[in-house]
Amino acid sequence: MSEHDDRLVRCFASVFPMMSEEEIRASNVATLFDLDSLAGVTLVALIDQEFGINVEISDLLKLGPFEAISQFLQKRNSFEVSQE
Amino acid sequence: MNLLSALELLKQPVSEPESDRQLYLGCGFTPLHLKTFLAAYLRLCFPKDRIEINTGLYGDLLGSLERLRLSRGLMTCVLVEWADLDPRLGIRSLGGWGSADIPDIVESARRQSERLADLIKQLADKAPIYMSAPTLPLPPMFTTRAAEAHPSECQVREIVASFATSLSAHGRVRMLSSQQLDELSPLARRFDLKAEITTGFPYTLEHVSSLAELLTTLIQDSRPKKGLITDLDDTIWAGILGEIGVDGIRWDMAGNAHMHGLYQQFLGSLASAGVLIAVASKNDPALVEQALARGDMLLSKESLFPLEVHWKAKSESVRRIVETWNIGPADVIFIDDSPMEVAEVHAAFPEMECIVFPKGNYQATWDLLKRLRNSFGKKSVSPEDVIRLQSIRAESALKSSTPRSELGADDFLLRAEAVITFCLAANARDNRAFELVNKTNQFNLNGKRYSESDWLSFLQDPAAFLLTASYEDKFGPLGKIAVVMGKIADHKVHVSTWVMSCRAFSRRIEHHCLKYLFEKLDAEEIVFEYKLTPRNGPIQDFFAELLEGRYGPTPSVRKAYFSAKAPALFHHIVEVANV
Repeated sequence: MSEHDDRLVRCFASVFPMMSEEEIRASNVATLFDLDSLAGVTLVALIDQEFGINVEISDLLKLGPFEAISQFLQKRNSFEVSQE
Repeated sequence: MNLLSALELLKQPVSEPESDRQLYLGCGFTPLHLKTFLAAYLRLCFPKDRIEINTGLYGDLLGSLERLRLSRGLMTCVLVEWADLDPRLGIRSLGGWGSADIPDIVESARRQSERLADLIKQLADKAPIYMSAPTLPLPPMFTTRAAEAHPSECQVREIVASFATSLSAHGRVRMLSSQQLDELSPLARRFDLKAEITTGFPYTLEHVSSLAELLTTLIQDSRPKKGLITDLDDTIWAGILGEIGVDGIRWDMAGNAHMHGLYQQFLGSLASAGVLIAVASKNDPALVEQALARGDMLLSKESLFPLEVHWKAKSESVRRIVETWNIGPADVIFIDDSPMEVAEVHAAFPEMECIVFPKGNYQATWDLLKRLRNSFGKKSVSPEDVIRLQSIRAESALKSSTPRSELGADDFLLRAEAVITFCLAANARDNRAFELVNKTNQFNLNGKRYSESDWLSFLQDPAAFLLTASYEDKFGPLGKIAVVMGKIADHKVHVSTWVMSCRAFSRRIEHHCLKYLFEKLDAEEIVFEYKLTPRNGPIQDFFAELLEGRYGPTPSVRKAYFSAKAPALFHHIVEVANV
């Protein structure tokens, strides 16, 4: 697992403390946000602070699974690094 | 602290919590990350407490506080923002920013601030309040360009300034310093417009972290230091007295020594607030005497006690000063321009904060003054603060004249013209009593400390009493020096807290406290919630002497026994309803 992936797991784990790492990696935010409306706001704030990437809740919902969010952040991250 | 660390910190369970710390968080916006950061900083400060934060309804600060008024006293944080004074001062309400609307907005903000202030004062009568006035920038609603303040903007700021002034004067309201917040969190980086619109949470994560950190500092209410020991040469003044003489030393701008003048002025301010200031200097005593008598000294010689001026080690001077003051080294700060002297004193007193005076460095001296203010900071100056130095001088005189034999002690106390002023009430506003209970170590029944909420809650019990004693004799006043707290039922007094300042030892005040309780509460027996602590030797000695060594884990004394065993008491007694 990449360091980037681990950081995203930490973000998810702090918002959903009852979930194990395996459950997080297999999760889909659409289901998770349905269960806890504040979770989306907190996860977006965490991604902003931890990855320096501004995303909307709607972006995460469109992406859905953890794996897709991770890949999206990685792409955005490398794009922003190449722009600098 | 960032949001991830805050959340991860809160995930960790509190192992064997010692107590519950309940806090009400009152704000008009959704508390979201504020609640998280506040809980996390509180966890850092109180790692053994279980923290519980309750919040009110979104968008209705006044209503939430109204409802809180009906509950029992609860420690409360209140964060007021512009929209709480009038929704049009925020950005979520679209009520109009036309020129014609502005006077009404100002007037409505004034009325709302008065309502809020009244309500917060009522809440503060029951429990401590920690609060902040608006921290966000005002929206661009006034007609002037950004660089120019509009009169209405000034009016709104004046309303908030009056609001903060009126509340900060309340004994149980702690108002967050806007200047300190400005240093930690620049104004331009506080407002998160997108979060405000999409979630109702107006702060950036950086700002909310700073706010929560400062509020926690207010809640923590650390004990101020009590004494400062300072060097003279290149510290109180610029120059070496022994080399350049009394007229050569400087503390003015012309002598390029203004920072030393500022330091003197600052020490004068500390002394006037009851901080003990002493001198430890390797110098010629006669020369120092002349220097301190110079008419342009900003710090009066009378505010310095004791003066340890000789050529012996600084640590020896410090030891003697601390003994005279009768306080612990951890309550003292030592300042000297010589790193070697600072190291020598620190080696002898590792608990003491020892600081090198940064001579010649303007910014570092400025930072030192701010650091010292933080270490000695207190909300108000009590009558005891004002007379503290006088009573220590008196104590010093008393020690040199107190006889050792019991017969001699009787004679001495008889001639001391001592007056004890007792106040028997359950006055929860007695800040000095609260302070004494929370700082006294030696004559302390059990070492129990109280939070403001515990204190208020205890005294709300109809069976509770609070006895305070103030003392004065011909050597000078000592102020309020003893506190007894407990409950009475069926002619039996249960004492749960009893402290007496070490400055009041050897005057039989403790005996008179018990005599007074027996008489005034019509008690037949007094039971003490005693607990041995590493530092309460004097109260152990008191029980050992009074009860002739025969006492168990819960000592008690009956009225008849006490009358037979108590020594002669010569004090004149004054009773007051509330002091």
